[in-house]
Amino acid sequence: MSTREDILGRLRQNTRETYDMPDLSRLQPIVYADPVAEFKHKTTTTAGARLVEMKAGDDLNDIVRQAYPDARVIASNLPEVSAQLNPNTATVEELEKTDVGVIRGEIGVAENACVWIPQAMKERAVCFASEQLVIVLSASTVVSNMHEAYARIAASQDYFKTYKFGTFISGPSKTADIEGALVYGAQAARGVTVVLQLQ
Amino acid sequence: MSTIHSKAAEAYQQKPEVVERHDKTFFGVRQKRDNMARALPEWEDLRTLASQIKKHTITHLADYLEQFEQNAVRNGVHVHWANDADQYNAIVYDILSSHGVKKVVKSKSMLTEECHLNDSLERHGIEVIETDLGERILQMMKLAPSHIVMPALHVHREDIGATFRRLIPNYASIASTYAAANAVGAPAAPIAPSAVGGSPADDNDPTFLTYVARMHLRQQFMEAEAGMTGANFGIAETGDVVVCTNEGNADMSTSIPKLHIVSMGIEKLIPNYAAMGVFQRLLARNGTGQETTVYTSHFRGPRPGGEMHIVLVDNGRSAILGNEEHWQTLKCMRCGACMNTCPVYRRSAGYSYTYFIPGPIGINLGMLRAPLQYSDNVSACSLCCSCDNVCPVQVDLSTQVYRWRQQLDSLGKADPMKKTMSRGMSFLFDRPAVYKAALWMSPAVNWLPAVLLNNGLNPWAYGHKMMKFPKKSFHQLWKEKKV
Repeated sequence: MSTREDILGRLRQNTRETYDMPDLSRLQPIVYADPVAEFKHKTTTTAGARLVEMKAGDDLNDIVRQAYPDARVIASNLPEVSAQLNPNTATVEELEKTDVGVIRGEIGVAENACVWIPQAMKERAVCFASEQLVIVLSASTVVSNMHEAYARIAASQDYFKTYKFGTFISGPSKTADIEGALVYGAQAARGVTVVLQLQ
Repeated sequence: MSTIHSKAAEAYQQKPEVVERHDKTFFGVRQKRDNMARALPEWEDLRTLASQIKKHTITHLADYLEQFEQNAVRNGVHVHWANDADQYNAIVYDILSSHGVKKVVKSKSMLTEECHLNDSLERHGIEVIETDLGERILQMMKLAPSHIVMPALHVHREDIGATFRRLIPNYASIASTYAAANAVGAPAAPIAPSAVGGSPADDNDPTFLTYVARMHLRQQFMEAEAGMTGANFGIAETGDVVVCTNEGNADMSTSIPKLHIVSMGIEKLIPNYAAMGVFQRLLARNGTGQETTVYTSHFRGPRPGGEMHIVLVDNGRSAILGNEEHWQTLKCMRCGACMNTCPVYRRSAGYSYTYFIPGPIGINLGMLRAPLQYSDNVSACSLCCSCDNVCPVQVDLSTQVYRWRQQLDSLGKADPMKKTMSRGMSFLFDRPAVYKAALWMSPAVNWLPAVLLNNGLNPWAYGHKMMKFPKKSFHQLWKEKKV
């Protein structure tokens, strides 16, 4: 018998009593009267990111330049961003030298400042290896909690189609592994700016 | 008391300032967890649901594993099965060696610790680099984790600094770029005081040391031919592996090298995305007192031009399922909350335990692994039940510790002094006349010279002075209707 059959057999044999899946719709999770306000608050406090509001007519390139005036290498595949590197064509080695990566988020979560980022570029290293990360997010996508976010992802046909990866990012990379002191920029982005598009 | 844990804990007490710092550090994490709990009105409902989801999944695990495997294979993932640690280590080595891998970057995984993967790979000449900062520090210092979530919090910054200066070959050139790196791309306004670069003049400053580690690890990510991660959750309905980190090291390990190997204990499965919502909300809140980890990454398949492997590991888990008294330890999601709240863990620290996972869950998992080998840890519990009250998946940890203690005698591991005392007590309790006489005489003990009482042979005078027996017993007061 194969190892697989061994393991499955032992599991079936050792299962005594079975339990039903609970009804998750009974849960009444926290919802905010103004999820966008809560998202902005959590993004700029606990998540430790910056947030810039973008109004109709604002230019994303100007916002990126203003946020990071010293940036030399910008990487993005968003058509509205003028960048030195495109993660669809650049190598991982090139992308590792990125000062500012600009990517798009699809869902914002108010309770914890998470932004859902389905991989939409060939090399997702741009999301992690960039020194600074700009996440562009429409305010209309903000939901109150993770249950709503996961329900949207499960219902959507858009994600995981071309690239089989998606991540929630909440602020810059953090660590407290040295004596519990909070430090930003452990391995991935040292800083995050969320550009919140208001319609 | 003479267990290895109690002796090690006693040795640990010799430095009260270290004990106090350890205690305060982890109680601080526990308090952050409490703040998270109070901020969510649905907290207890989440715990109940999490427990129910796990009970359901674990008691249908064979079905869910088949579903998970089917979806993972459809997503282009190679799925492997391992009965035990040896098989697991061999599978990982085969994958790595068939791809000519010389160096592998690895994010934190308790399963790889359980199976001693690193030693096994290094014996075969493959270099393994831990990329979680705490784990990397421990690896360089040749130390074991002292906690499952914050593994190196017991190490002091001076020792970390000295280790980096000694073992990172390009330390000096990394340090020389520190000031410039803080200027380029720095936020226009400070985010928080701790986010601003510390003084490079202090070469043990945590911000500076984190920068050194960042640059050192960047080089490792670029050089490695493979990345390994654990799995916080596996989602049966989609085949996703979910990995949660704050540092982003799992993502760096898997977005630079093209080969990704996931090591996953079979109990990590949950049914679907609806369940994932419950666990995502509980994991970081309980583990570190954060609303979320910075990264919650869903790996559903290989990178373009890459390969993804999932190794499903049993290593005793299917046997635990058949253990009527202890099967619910399989609900554990390794958040570490039970350690942070445990008064014994906080005051005796991880190395006092003989199993690699310390604290309440570690006591139980050690006994399930090898009761004769790890029975010394069951004394490391005051039965205060605090762990039961914080556990996000409602594992009855202290009840399980109690059950192990009842089995110690049959394992030949009972404390002889306690056995004698128990026999004495049952002799007394079976004979009311003798009991009353003993009770009447007990205050006489108060008149014995202190040296006879506080001499280390009397366990009631251990760590404090011998108690004073009251003049009248409760029995007497009750009879006189004074209580």
